[in-house]
Amino acid sequence: MVVFFRAGSELRHKLQPDVDFYTRRVETQAGKSVKDILRDIGLDPAFVAFIYVEGKVKNLDYVPTEGQSVTLQPPVSGG
Amino acid sequence: MARGFAGTTLRVDLPRGTIRRLPTDEALFRRWHGGRGVVAKICYDEVPRGADPLGPENVFIMTVSPMSGCLIPAGSKVEFGSVSPLTNGQGDSNMGGHLGPALKFAGYDLVIFTGISPKPVYLFIDDDVVELRDASSYWGMRSLDCEKRLKEDLGEDFEIATIGPAGENGVLFSCITHDFGRQAGRTGQGAVMGSKKLKAIAVRGSRSLHVHDQAGLTAYVTGIIKRTQKHPNMEPWQKYGTAFFIRWSNDNGVMPTRNFQTTYYEDADKIDGDQLIEKCLITHKACFGCWMNCGKYTKAVIPGKPEVHLEGPEYETGSLCGSNLGMKDINHVAYINWMLDNLGMDSMSGGGVTAFAMECFERGLITEKDLEGRSLQWGSVDDVEHFLDMVALRRGIGDWFAGGTKRAAEKIGRGSEKFAMQVKGQEMSGYDGRWAPGMLLSYMTADIGAHHNRSWTITVDMAEGRESVDGRAKIVVYLQHIRPLMDTWCICRLFWGELDITPEEIVESLNLITGWGVSPEECLRTSEMIWNLNRCHYLERNKADGRTFDYPPARSWEDKIPTGPGKGKGVSRKQVEQMLDEYYAARAWDAKGNPTRAVLEDLGLKDAADNLERIGLLGVPIPGGIPAVRGEKYKPKAF
Repeated sequence: MVVFFRAGSELRHKLQPDVDFYTRRVETQAGKSVKDILRDIGLDPAFVAFIYVEGKVKNLDYVPTEGQSVTLQPPVSGG
Repeated sequence: MARGFAGTTLRVDLPRGTIRRLPTDEALFRRWHGGRGVVAKICYDEVPRGADPLGPENVFIMTVSPMSGCLIPAGSKVEFGSVSPLTNGQGDSNMGGHLGPALKFAGYDLVIFTGISPKPVYLFIDDDVVELRDASSYWGMRSLDCEKRLKEDLGEDFEIATIGPAGENGVLFSCITHDFGRQAGRTGQGAVMGSKKLKAIAVRGSRSLHVHDQAGLTAYVTGIIKRTQKHPNMEPWQKYGTAFFIRWSNDNGVMPTRNFQTTYYEDADKIDGDQLIEKCLITHKACFGCWMNCGKYTKAVIPGKPEVHLEGPEYETGSLCGSNLGMKDINHVAYINWMLDNLGMDSMSGGGVTAFAMECFERGLITEKDLEGRSLQWGSVDDVEHFLDMVALRRGIGDWFAGGTKRAAEKIGRGSEKFAMQVKGQEMSGYDGRWAPGMLLSYMTADIGAHHNRSWTITVDMAEGRESVDGRAKIVVYLQHIRPLMDTWCICRLFWGELDITPEEIVESLNLITGWGVSPEECLRTSEMIWNLNRCHYLERNKADGRTFDYPPARSWEDKIPTGPGKGKGVSRKQVEQMLDEYYAARAWDAKGNPTRAVLEDLGLKDAADNLERIGLLGVPIPGGIPAVRGEKYKPKAF
């Protein structure tokens, strides 16, 4: 199964995009959570504040489906 | 005059009620760039070292930068500054909205207020018409109410900054409010305004600004627009602002909870970003020249209380007035945010001060008798409302807390200093540093006290290992140079820092506007110069070795985190000392935390070195001389 992860700013460097400036194509097994897939590709989930899928915020336990685009949002300084 | 400037500086003599117009000193801006740099230089040069921050000898400054109000995105910030009554050092604070650009459009780069007005006044600016007007009918009004009234009286198109009762009453963490929810909150600038009997500033401007390379800037900005619209961060930012980081902060064990007693809040899901959007959001809101619209205009609805409208709470207020006060309903957090805004108190320090008072109450150090017969329980919005009213109006024991946690702890005693969560008098931002040692070091060493925005180090802590403090100092120094440049240029770090716009690109925009031809490395040296000047200013005012002032409260090293993902974690006193040693070395200061002549002269600050030497606080020379590069390399890489 293929999932596309997108990320910007500092997180983009950790993701190492290969499709375009922001996007990385990841082959994974169906049924795995985003948190597990991130660990598989060597990206510590602690660097991801939340994920954004089809206009909705999800937590990292979300299980993506074939071909989905998952945006990874890094933490930022608030205030 | 270089392009990018409005061209005129105003000096407002409050005792005489006179206003002088002077050509803007381009050399001042060229060397110090604007914003906090200009504030630092003027405060250092013009305020006598023994002056009371709330007395007539302090100045109050409002300024912008050449980038403000130009075509660039998010050039919205206006910077306020003076010697801070909260920290007794150079103080500055900024806010977004539309006031900064309006000041430029009216024709002004810098406004310096001196003295104290004999009666309440406000500064009225309508292009060439600049007047001090009687504010007697506005004095006593709450901040948001006063802004609304001034807009009704003057016109909707005036940009207004106001203070509330707290600023009038000299509450040391008073803020300045603008645009019904934007605050210059930190370092007590509202208290300085109040001390000068300056209730408000109203500005309308209609002029154009001229830049050095209009075609180049247009092409540059067009590129930024195209890029940022596709940026993955943009849509979540637009939807949530910073409020969503409540959950992340909690999951990672850095969430201040019940006055920083622990770092995990069991009811975080009741006050997080989803709750804000679902229960409180009215509409999204943006500052001048920004399409990120991270501001959230909201309502707070609580049975038995009037429905109130506000902007926020964003992450800092959400944590410091949410988990840190034990609140279990986002409407309660929003209501407290509104109370602080309208009374005119910084919602970060306000949350910290209230949490400190709650822990004092929990421990029996203050009682219902002290609180006019009321309680002060975690999670009680009614108790907080009553307490904040006591503070803003300085009623009874509220007078103690009006000086912030440090001064309140000095009054209360009995060990309360240990959990007065501040550094240099300024309350900590919304991250607990016990499992984020770089963040703790940032709080310890920031020139304005425990504020996160000088050096936001949390993710560096995670990357480098949160149990170790090794090497953290150099990164903190580097971030303390690069992040405050945003406050020097008066641009929004959220837009520029989070959307993959590089430091080189930002400096390119500065050059397109001004024609200065500065390099990123030069900008970082300017930032280091500002940092060192502020350090000298602090030492000269407080007259002791710098290290004396750089310690956090003992809770930060004595108490391990008791619950949550960080359970059992914490830094030791030995690690705190190690970080300070490494930090001073990274800055080429001596082991007492005092700047050395070599580094000050290298930065062009010979006068400051002479002044430190005169009072015996010049750092002893470092064996082998100073390193050519302080902190990380002068190579911009990130914010």
